[in-house]
Amino acid sequence: MAVASGRIAARAIGAPAGPWRGRPAQVGLVLLALLAAFALLRGDFPWPAALTWGALPGRLDSLQGWLLDQRTAEDRNVIFALFNGFRALADWLVTTLTDVLGWMTWAGTAAAGVLLVGRFGGWRAGAIVLAAFAAFALMGLWEPSVQTLALMLAAVLLSLAIGMPLGVWAGRSPRVHRAITPVLDAMQIVPAFAYLMPIVILFSVGPAAAVICTMIYAVPPAVRITALGIRGVTPATVEASQALGATPLQTLLKVQLPLARRQLLLSVNQTIMFALSLVVIAGLIGGRGLGDVVTNGLYSNAALALLAGLAIVVMAIALDRATAAIAERTDPARRHLTDAGRRRGRLVTLAVLGAIAVIVGIARAFGVEADYPDEFETATFVYPATIEDSLLAAIQSVLDYVQDPTSLIFGITEPIGNFLVQYALEPLRVWLVQAPWFATIAGLAAIAFLVSGLRPAITVAVMLGAIGVMGVWEPAMDTASQVLVATAIAVALGIAIGVWAAESPRVERALRPLLDTLQTLPQLVYIIPFIYLMPVSRVPGVVASVLYALPVIIRLVTAGVRDVAPAAVEAASAFGATRGQVLAKVKVPLARDAIMLGVNQGTIMVLAVVVIGGLVGSGALGDEVARGLQRNEFGQGVVASLAILALGIALDRVTQSRGRRVRGQPS
Amino acid sequence: MGNRRVRGLLAALALAAATGVAACGEAKEESSSSGGSGGASAAKDCGKVVLNEQAWAGSTANTYIAKAVLEENLGCDVEITKVAEIPVFQAMADGEVDAVLEDWQHTDEYAKYIKQSGTVVDGGPLGVEGHIGWFIPKYLADSNPELASWEGIKGNEELFKTAESGDQGMFLGGDPSYVQKDKELIKALGLNLKHVTAGAEPAQVARWTQLYKREKPVLFYWYTPQFYNQQYELAEVKLPERSEGCEDDAKSGGDPAQYRCAYDVTVIQKLFSKEFAEGGSPAYDVLKRMSLTNDDQEAVAKAIAGDKVDPEKAGKDWVSENQAKVKEWLG
Repeated sequence: MAVASGRIAARAIGAPAGPWRGRPAQVGLVLLALLAAFALLRGDFPWPAALTWGALPGRLDSLQGWLLDQRTAEDRNVIFALFNGFRALADWLVTTLTDVLGWMTWAGTAAAGVLLVGRFGGWRAGAIVLAAFAAFALMGLWEPSVQTLALMLAAVLLSLAIGMPLGVWAGRSPRVHRAITPVLDAMQIVPAFAYLMPIVILFSVGPAAAVICTMIYAVPPAVRITALGIRGVTPATVEASQALGATPLQTLLKVQLPLARRQLLLSVNQTIMFALSLVVIAGLIGGRGLGDVVTNGLYSNAALALLAGLAIVVMAIALDRATAAIAERTDPARRHLTDAGRRRGRLVTLAVLGAIAVIVGIARAFGVEADYPDEFETATFVYPATIEDSLLAAIQSVLDYVQDPTSLIFGITEPIGNFLVQYALEPLRVWLVQAPWFATIAGLAAIAFLVSGLRPAITVAVMLGAIGVMGVWEPAMDTASQVLVATAIAVALGIAIGVWAAESPRVERALRPLLDTLQTLPQLVYIIPFIYLMPVSRVPGVVASVLYALPVIIRLVTAGVRDVAPAAVEAASAFGATRGQVLAKVKVPLARDAIMLGVNQGTIMVLAVVVIGGLVGSGALGDEVARGLQRNEFGQGVVASLAILALGIALDRVTQSRGRRVRGQPS
Repeated sequence: MGNRRVRGLLAALALAAATGVAACGEAKEESSSSGGSGGASAAKDCGKVVLNEQAWAGSTANTYIAKAVLEENLGCDVEITKVAEIPVFQAMADGEVDAVLEDWQHTDEYAKYIKQSGTVVDGGPLGVEGHIGWFIPKYLADSNPELASWEGIKGNEELFKTAESGDQGMFLGGDPSYVQKDKELIKALGLNLKHVTAGAEPAQVARWTQLYKREKPVLFYWYTPQFYNQQYELAEVKLPERSEGCEDDAKSGGDPAQYRCAYDVTVIQKLFSKEFAEGGSPAYDVLKRMSLTNDDQEAVAKAIAGDKVDPEKAGKDWVSENQAKVKEWLG
């Protein structure tokens, strides 16, 4: 069970081959026409002021002001009472979890985690959890790690409490599903930066605000995957149960939910992964924990920020493997237990709980501290208990090497960065920004029509128009140029590596931890080396987006190529095709839909990094969103976020490719 | 069978919740009794004080200096939060944060929270004075003395050419979240410079230090007090004198001509939540009197960010070396 996007799970592979194959020439023609329009009318038609709704940011600002007034008013609105109730609940949950973990002492907490996961997920999963706790301790990051763990658990519990019922509802009613999908899309694409300030106004700062901002991102996968699971139950089964006189509730509880078990557990797993990716942002509004260490470290101690980033990865991988193992091991379909076996299982559970109680008791009796200490003291000596200092020194020496402009690697990376700016990013930006706006809209809509169909084409035109009306045409085109370059690089690398991994299981195994790391390491962290290695604006942002999108593309391509029907491959081999020919003429063409899905998902994920790019010099929309929070230009920030959303929808439609529709999950 | 398992799980959860509640109570007791190192009675008077540390090293420095003073002399239980610059105003209004020691004149928020709602209280100047300007490395100012003023840069812009500035010279802009007017200033002064954004401060520092280390020319937005100023030798570029009505924050847009002057000196402000200011905490009086010089702050920031001294220790070190100053704050 990979760390994959919920969107992917909700999308499908393997639809009938679309008419895309005959279209490249037509798409090329459209691009040529666009180039001609640019050459002839360059710079003559910027987005007209007459078509701009300039008052929008101001309106949004006054909306925020109104919220603030409501919040501080004497007689509070009922809605605010509700918000306050929710805030109290979330705050209580986080503090209680933190206090419980602290009360159990560090030894007790680690024992409880390892033994419980070991009992339900097997000894391998238990060992991974043990390794994770050991890593937090040795890194000297025990306290922030446990704070983050408590925050995550609270956010995940609340996300599931909201997301799963919604998912069940959406799974049973197509109408609800249709209504809810665009909302979920928006929740995932609109950058968290844009809604941090409203959240602070509504919920103040602290754990509650951090939990809520995390939930906005983590609820969508819970809803989507749950709905997918419910829908995936064969209609015949549901009909049979209805025919036998089951009430809708009985059908749900006894048929649909149990049969969707795997998907429900996957949704737990994915909710955790999504929640973890917001840890750093949550740190900005008082989330505490590892996110805090990362953001502050960036300014005063980059090595510490990197170390904390690694701790986040360790936590993500441990939680992923643990939940996956528990889902697998407790699957009733895979366990054929006798009554005696069940009784023994219950006894083991009791023994485990007892063991945890004993360990906690002993630890408390001997005065073990809540957090793992920095040093152990005996009567005569003080031993350092962590290897934090040597880890930091090691990371710092890597950073020093990277920061040295005379180093060998810099001699390679700097020209690459300069090349990207001079020959890819800048020309494309100039093209998109200076081409006549109507030609750009018409051209992209035409491409969407050729690739995806009429409705997507209309959507593309409407979205691009909306961007113009909101008054952010130029920065949006600037951002689009960066997104296109990043997507092109990510897709090229992703297809190459994905095909390679599909051909060689060994490569795939070796890649797995690397891909997991790339998907869970906060982008702010892995971007650090690149701001030194490629010191040109926009390039570190492009690199970060490529690294973020790459894992998903690789996984989709690998799965697509491997799932090509063996019969087709055998037939080709029987006719004497070489391995290379089989790959080029059979496997890749047959996996085209999976590859197109990779392109589509890659584009969306690249867009998700736009705001982070703004923090490292990508400018454009990302800059405006980040500034919205930092300088309280709320209206402008929201407008830029909406433009990112519109751009995301437009690019999604352009790359969607015809004939794909929601079916099962890629297996 | 499945049901029984679920019930077992529920029972376990209930058990956990019950112990949790108990744990919660106990943990609180412990923390309140362990608060005071400077006498139990003082601890009761001061109680908990929440200071907010901003992301940059200078703020870490003054926050930990304050923490050391409050803990050692008043026995306060100081908690440090790290909320971002703008949201922290709401946090103070809600009483979640008691004090911010370094605020760079957020006039919009002052109007909203100090004047309008009165939920935040002006704590007076910290004593540190901020100054924004255009800077070049000292080696460059030494070899090309004319570059030390904007008139000398005019005509020599191509010296600052890079891959991304095309035919123009590159001006490396500041963190987009900081007060700035450089695009307008470049226009108003008629310089052939391209304003390039490097992004947040750490990224901008990475950019100019990479050029500095190779002794290449670079012109960039920078400010004091900043601990990097102790590590890199920089020279400030002279901009036109300040004039009546000249603006510094181009956020509001308008005619570039109104920005045609050097940046003003920024008085760094202390802010308190109204709850804290009126709650009668002895910590309030001390923080209100607290005052630092640019050198104090830069030295401690350098220790923390440059030499990687633990902030806790760096704060205590400064306090033990500057007892005279601390005595004044204690009144």
